[in-house]
Amino acid sequence: MTTTLKLFLLFLAATVLHWAFMTVLGEVGLSVNVMLVFACAVCAYLKPQYGYPAAFVCGLFLDFFGVKLFGNNAFTFTLCAMAIYALEKRLDFDAPVPQMISLWGLGLFATLFNLLLLKVFANFSAWMGFWPLLGGVTLNAVLAPAVFWAVRRAFAREIKA
Amino acid sequence: MQRKSQPKKQASQGSRRRKILPAVFVLLSLLLMVLPLESPVASVKALLSYIFIPQIRAAHAAVEYAEGVSAAVRDLLDTHRENERLREEMDRLQLENAQAKEVFAENELLRAALGWQPPRIWGGVWAKTAYREPTQWNSVVIDKGAQEGVSERAAAIALKDGQPVLAGVVVETDDHTSKVLLVRDEDFSAAVSSSVSQEDGLLVGAGAAPLKMLYLPLLSEIAEGERVYTSASSSIFPAGILVGEVLEVEEEHPSSTSLTARVEPAADASAVRELFILTPKTAGDKK
Repeated sequence: MTTTLKLFLLFLAATVLHWAFMTVLGEVGLSVNVMLVFACAVCAYLKPQYGYPAAFVCGLFLDFFGVKLFGNNAFTFTLCAMAIYALEKRLDFDAPVPQMISLWGLGLFATLFNLLLLKVFANFSAWMGFWPLLGGVTLNAVLAPAVFWAVRRAFAREIKA
Repeated sequence: MQRKSQPKKQASQGSRRRKILPAVFVLLSLLLMVLPLESPVASVKALLSYIFIPQIRAAHAAVEYAEGVSAAVRDLLDTHRENERLREEMDRLQLENAQAKEVFAENELLRAALGWQPPRIWGGVWAKTAYREPTQWNSVVIDKGAQEGVSERAAAIALKDGQPVLAGVVVETDDHTSKVLLVRDEDFSAAVSSSVSQEDGLLVGAGAAPLKMLYLPLLSEIAEGERVYTSASSSIFPAGILVGEVLEVEEEHPSSTSLTARVEPAADASAVRELFILTPKTAGDKK
């Protein structure tokens, strides 16, 4: 129960952060996906019964703003959660470098896969260019250690258990 | 024996959960994607709006507050200079207003003499862009909704260098938020006319590419650089709002029956921060 409550409060904080980054960086065409970083951090430290629903809800939150397709971000985030759980034995998610590398790769995958889903299911092309894509993905990676640190700090007791 | 089997049981439960949970969520999200956006998904969205909308408003308010702190300091420093400028502006506008009143009165008399219908006067509300996904420049979420008088299919207007320009159309409304489809979106369309050649056409979005003005007559004299405004024949948009400028007129294809002009939109999708959402009212609604 405490874990769920903490998860909910952190989710709220993540949405505010996502909003703030979108407002500030959206004007220069950069997209920082704080929700993806948060979902990956939760999956890296918590059990699947918390990780998968958190990733799905974070995806739904982003889907809520779309007008073309609903469920694409939820789908992508669930796949990213699967990737994090598959990588947890191979990568040390306590160190910043694996966090950044994994988030860079997953950020790129999530953006491209979302574009593909939009094209396939909604016949809509949202391609904004190579540099905005790389910029956003790199910013995700830069932000990852801070978000992972916050999640690890919040769930210190659960991680030890 | 029993002690040994317990961890094994727990491990198998954990591995089963690892397989079942992602499968459930993948199937659920696939179902949401495949279902039509109208009835079932709209119900899910409506349900989610009870959870997400208060959150969106709180997040938007927090961001606005943080932005407001630095802006307030800057404003304080500029207040005196701005006050002086506004006084001068007010004097000038008072003079213009007096002249405009005379012209309006004269216009009313002439209109009555000719038996013309009174024009539609458009009011509206100012809304701020609450959310914009930079990778999906086709829509924005604004911080005004049905409670503030915003309705679906209402025109959204942005200001560019002090001039109103067409930014998009409202496609979804909630109590205090709405979604605006921007002009570049492929689903956007509006009846427009060119400023010089007076040709009417249908303007449609074309994604990242310039807008398309379709169904222009083959003998049309529309030329590059001409401004394009909303047409009086549009049922959604009031006439005379600047939409963009003609970039080029596409070459005639031997089998085509009309011309297509490429139009660069006046509203910059990435820079839209404030929008004026029109709410129709007639001259009789004057307050």
